[in-house]
Amino acid sequence: MLTSEVYANVRLAVLWIITSYGYYRIMIKCAHPQPKLAFIPIVREYQLGITARREKEGRTLAKLEIFLYICFLLFKILGQESKYIIIPTVFVLAIGFACLIYSFRILSGLCGVFGRKKRWLWLWIFFEPLTSIIWGVDKKFVPVLKLEIIDDPGVGESGTLVSAVDNGLTVNITKRTVIDFFRKKYLLKDIHLNIPAGHMVLLLGGSGAGKTTFVNAVTGYEQADASILLNDNDLYKDYKEMKYDVGFVPQQDLMRENDSVIRTLMDAATLRLPESVDRASRRERVMQVLEEFGLSSIRNSLVEKLSGGQKKRLSIAMEFISDPSLFILDEPDSGLDGVVARGLFEKLREIADSGKIVIVITHTPDRVIDLFDDVIVLAKDSSRTGRLAYYGPVEDVYGFFGKESMEQILLSVNQKDEGGEGRADEFVENYMERARELAVGKVG
Amino acid sequence: MSGNTQKHIGRLSQVGIYLGKMFRMFIYQNDWKVLPMSAVIAGLVAFVVGSNLFVTQEGTLLGTFALSCICIWNGFFNSIQNVCRERAIIKREHRSGLHISAYVAAHMIYQAFLCLCQTVITIGVCMYSKVNFPSVSYITPIALVDMGITIFLTTYSADMMSLMISSWVRTTTAAMTVMPFLLIFQLVFSGGFFALSGFAEKITNVTIAKWGLTALCAQGDYNSLPMVSLWNAILKMRNVEYDGIKPIQEIMAYIENNNYREELLLKCAEYNQNAQYASTSSNILGCWGILILFIILYSAIAVVGLEFIDKDKR
Repeated sequence: MLTSEVYANVRLAVLWIITSYGYYRIMIKCAHPQPKLAFIPIVREYQLGITARREKEGRTLAKLEIFLYICFLLFKILGQESKYIIIPTVFVLAIGFACLIYSFRILSGLCGVFGRKKRWLWLWIFFEPLTSIIWGVDKKFVPVLKLEIIDDPGVGESGTLVSAVDNGLTVNITKRTVIDFFRKKYLLKDIHLNIPAGHMVLLLGGSGAGKTTFVNAVTGYEQADASILLNDNDLYKDYKEMKYDVGFVPQQDLMRENDSVIRTLMDAATLRLPESVDRASRRERVMQVLEEFGLSSIRNSLVEKLSGGQKKRLSIAMEFISDPSLFILDEPDSGLDGVVARGLFEKLREIADSGKIVIVITHTPDRVIDLFDDVIVLAKDSSRTGRLAYYGPVEDVYGFFGKESMEQILLSVNQKDEGGEGRADEFVENYMERARELAVGKVG
Repeated sequence: MSGNTQKHIGRLSQVGIYLGKMFRMFIYQNDWKVLPMSAVIAGLVAFVVGSNLFVTQEGTLLGTFALSCICIWNGFFNSIQNVCRERAIIKREHRSGLHISAYVAAHMIYQAFLCLCQTVITIGVCMYSKVNFPSVSYITPIALVDMGITIFLTTYSADMMSLMISSWVRTTTAAMTVMPFLLIFQLVFSGGFFALSGFAEKITNVTIAKWGLTALCAQGDYNSLPMVSLWNAILKMRNVEYDGIKPIQEIMAYIENNNYREELLLKCAEYNQNAQYASTSSNILGCWGILILFIILYSAIAVVGLEFIDKDKR
């Protein structure tokens, strides 16, 4: 009895070592920086996911395996004869099945990386040790896609902080990091700028360049290692009070469809205006905002009955009700036709002209660029960190990038694998140089 | 309003805003449908198990189990999608100063209103279906009010449990996937209808169904009701013959002729009493207390879950 158990365990151990060695060799072939991780359970699954360009699946599989090991431990503790053995058994079956599905997805990715047909999956599933050894050792198996390891430190930092302006927004973001599955990731780095009151600023950047992270850091919603001053008030320090001075309009029209326009605004006013504002003044403010945004005639309509443009105006009005100094809009023109979008941006220009700071993210900037004062261009550098590639007047941006339109500028900073020119590092460095020169000029 | 340092409305006023929104949802977003739905379910259950409810031990156990199921079903359906369906809106409002505790409190008040309506409807439908409700009261002066409180607390606990789930999951699909598991868990581990022992019996203590069912059985004076299953089993065997004689039929005739039947049924029940269903005010109050604890616990977990709403990805 004991001998057969020992034999089974030895057999399992040998198979595990063979499989691990196979994966180790596969990871070497794919230029994985730490192939030895193939010998560490759980970690291996995640690393294999990265190798197979299925990081998300690898992460889930690693988590599932942790649960699986816990269930096995319970198995051992309870013993085969226990009447409660059914509980870990059910979980082992459920988690085991999920593991199989995720392994299938990762191995499917591995087939893609090696340019092999999906029929190999069957061999992988039923003869994993043998297949891993063949793929790892046989020289015929060469990956067509190598693992792209981002160990490039990216562009250096300027470290130059901008001094605060009395009437405007001062942003000094040193860095914004997150811990993602035991790895520290830099989302934003080294962003320093001053936006004077009354300016309307375009926030331009490709997918993953950190636009939303930047906006969240500036509004104090997700605080970074930074100093954000709005009209000389520290937004991070006094976030509880200051958040009412910042209006953020999300991309989607997040409102309750079954409320009327006036009710939506009344509730927004009650939530956002100070308690000292009495009911009559609140109502007066609501009426004023309704008028200003051209919503008076439809004030009793349900939100669900409004057109896309009307919904967007209502969504903006909800934030405008508290008369914030800083107004940030995430793609306010999405889903709107050119004429309606133009009208909306003209309204935003009016808001800026009334002394507010308006920052707008849009993917179709060229049709309304004449309405903006400044442009912020964010770009992913070679370390995939969001960096400031430009901040300054609209007139200068074309010369700085040597392009004729905002779309061309965006393409120039986008990564090559995103269809761009991949020149982000160059522009980030150029901009740092320009910022230094400007700073010296100012001092001089 | 630059450099805004003025005080904004507190939690209590926010509760008012959200209550208004919820009642508008009740009218315009078809939330009212849960009320006629509860009437239909109560009608079906009363039709199937109503005749023996609070009449015999077996009928009472089956009926109170079904009644607990109605409560849990109603409670679950009231709020399982309520929070997750507007999660993105809550996130936006949280950014604008919404207090999560105020939001959950508004839900608690609104759901209490729904559960109260459903309780009245369920009792009304059962009465209309001639269910023989107990006449002895234990806590309040009116027996039906006692019964109503139990039904309300059971429904409300289930409601808060589904509100908790709705606060933790991110999509309505996820909520509707989790719900059947919870429902089956409540039914299987109600502890009354399915015989459980050991650890499995201990698990029953965490189910709403157990405490609802126990309180209902206690109020229905379960231990004093006759037990008919033995008599019915014997009745089926009355024609069994040994050496030309039908001994069972003879015994039954003797019992019937001497009017011992009722006494025998009660005697039979006496041997099958369940101490858990003791008809005492302390027992009923204990069950209510546990249900109230569940309500507090689930709503607190709902608040904690929603406090993390800012972590939601775009």
